[in-house]
Amino acid sequence: MVMDDVLLIIVGFSGGLAVGCGFVAFLTVLGIIPRLTQLTKTYDAIRKYEWSVILGVLASTWFGLRYSSFSLPGFLLIPIGLAAGMFVGMLAAALTEVLNVFPILAKRLGINEKILLLMMALVLGKVLGSFFHWTYFIDQ
Amino acid sequence: MANTIYIRLRHKFKAALNDCIKIGKMANVIAPRDMKNVICDLDVYKIRPEDNKFVVIDAMDVIQAIHERYPDCDIQTVGPQQTIIEVESEKKGPRTVLFLLVWVLLFIGAGLTIMNFHEDVAMSSVHQKIYFLITGRENAKPLILQIPYSLGVGIGMILFFNHIFKKRFNEEPSPLEVEMFNYQQDLDQYIILQENKKAEAKRHGDG
Repeated sequence: MVMDDVLLIIVGFSGGLAVGCGFVAFLTVLGIIPRLTQLTKTYDAIRKYEWSVILGVLASTWFGLRYSSFSLPGFLLIPIGLAAGMFVGMLAAALTEVLNVFPILAKRLGINEKILLLMMALVLGKVLGSFFHWTYFIDQ
Repeated sequence: MANTIYIRLRHKFKAALNDCIKIGKMANVIAPRDMKNVICDLDVYKIRPEDNKFVVIDAMDVIQAIHERYPDCDIQTVGPQQTIIEVESEKKGPRTVLFLLVWVLLFIGAGLTIMNFHEDVAMSSVHQKIYFLITGRENAKPLILQIPYSLGVGIGMILFFNHIFKKRFNEEPSPLEVEMFNYQQDLDQYIILQENKKAEAKRHGDG
């Protein structure tokens, strides 16, 4: 009995360690936090941003696994949704950049000056795709 | 009289078919004035149809041309060792159709990938869970969360590429611009090596 508990603790802890490392590695490769500090010119706050990520992960791990509920008013979901979406959008944009899609595309087509328009295609596609998914596709 | 001539090749420029490339066009030259005019007027290369899109001219070719004219001068090169000449072909037709095709491709592709992503990570049940976490009620379609979320995806992407705030916020280049620059740099490097290899092979073939 005690052995089982000890084993479970070891397995859970190891799993958490691996997932946490992977998460941080992924964030680092995509460079979202440096990008945000660059945009807001808050280079010295980077340590605090690290803690924000860690606390965010810890909080949502805990509450997410425990099925807790706070019974708060629904409008709070609007800023949460917006923030979640922005984060996912930045992930998507970072991934596009890591994969070098745009430079190659623009070079092949010789349309350097229209790259902004191409980017808008990507952004609008994501937004409308997401709308479509939540309002229509999910009922199918 | 050891006159020193300094030349610095330009990194890259465009020329039309059958142009004669003079030294003055492809390099900055520092030399005594009378010599400079002569040097700038020396031909290094004539672009031929079989050159395709790129010609690479090595600093050695330039030195050779000057050396033939002024054998007892000291020639120093500064900066890039090769110049890339982009041969401009005849005007191509408008690219609008191609552009529109790519636009539609990106638009649909982006929409599809975000949907795939949502399905892949079970975003729908995560949203339901967040809705329950905050309000304490169940909701199969928590649109109050999902509509701001969808808008946020777009805002996040734009923020990352720094296009809206470019003028107001920040003069630093966006990651995309840096990426374009790096890609171009790599491409140039590749062209230089490849064309050099070809030229080498040709020389050996002649000899």
